[in-house]
Amino acid sequence: MSIEKAYILISIFLFLSGLFGVIIRKNLITLLISTELMLNGVNLALVSVDRAVGGIEGQVFALFILAVAASEVAVGLGLIVALFRLKGYEGSSEITHLRE
Amino acid sequence: MEWLIFGFLSTWAVLSVMGVLFLKNPVHALLSFVSLILSVAGMFIHLGAELLAGLQLIIYAVAIVVFYVLVITTIPWEKVKRFEGFYKREFFLGFPVLLLSFALFSYAILNGKLAMVNLEVKDNVKEVGKSLFTTYLFPLEVASVILLTAMIGAILLGRKEE
Repeated sequence: MSIEKAYILISIFLFLSGLFGVIIRKNLITLLISTELMLNGVNLALVSVDRAVGGIEGQVFALFILAVAASEVAVGLGLIVALFRLKGYEGSSEITHLRE
Repeated sequence: MEWLIFGFLSTWAVLSVMGVLFLKNPVHALLSFVSLILSVAGMFIHLGAELLAGLQLIIYAVAIVVFYVLVITTIPWEKVKRFEGFYKREFFLGFPVLLLSFALFSYAILNGKLAMVNLEVKDNVKEVGKSLFTTYLFPLEVASVILLTAMIGAILLGRKEE
């Protein structure tokens, strides 16, 4: 097993635990932190495949993922603050308007 | 030596992921997220992506985490107290599914082969910067438009309702 494959395994662990955090966490802010975990896992997979292949395209793509992560945090935290101010919601189990 | 560095960084990353998932207090979860960011930056340096490691430190560990801390300070603490921790039932339902998918993914990776191209890249920062401003110039401009749109959206979401 080469070191790149080991790093890809770690990246898959990061992605799946981010998904797990999105499923299980109660607080909306920690839920957003878990999505950041998923994005980090994808970045790590791109960079390690890049080293195995020997190119730089994966790193360029990971850079764009960083830009998307920054904008996602801005919009997501804006949504959370607006939700808290208008409705007083802070937990993911309180948002049930579409279900009812 | 290579495996020693890998073992150190991956143990660090796994411990901080456990902190992000299972710590009760959102501020503690955020602090272990910072620790995870540092370990991932170390992995980037180990894999030879120095530019990305620096950007990871600048964008994640400074900009994004400060933003999270600012938002946490705006929310009253007793409201947060009601929703800390994780759902027990979803934990026990979700854990076997994710364990199974991790086993399937790792089986596929351990038995598969990566493509072998073997282009040698000497100076990482120079090469990435050059291809960003020549080959990938249009995606770079699109990324700046995405950031501008996100800024306008955040301002619109955060303003006071009349």
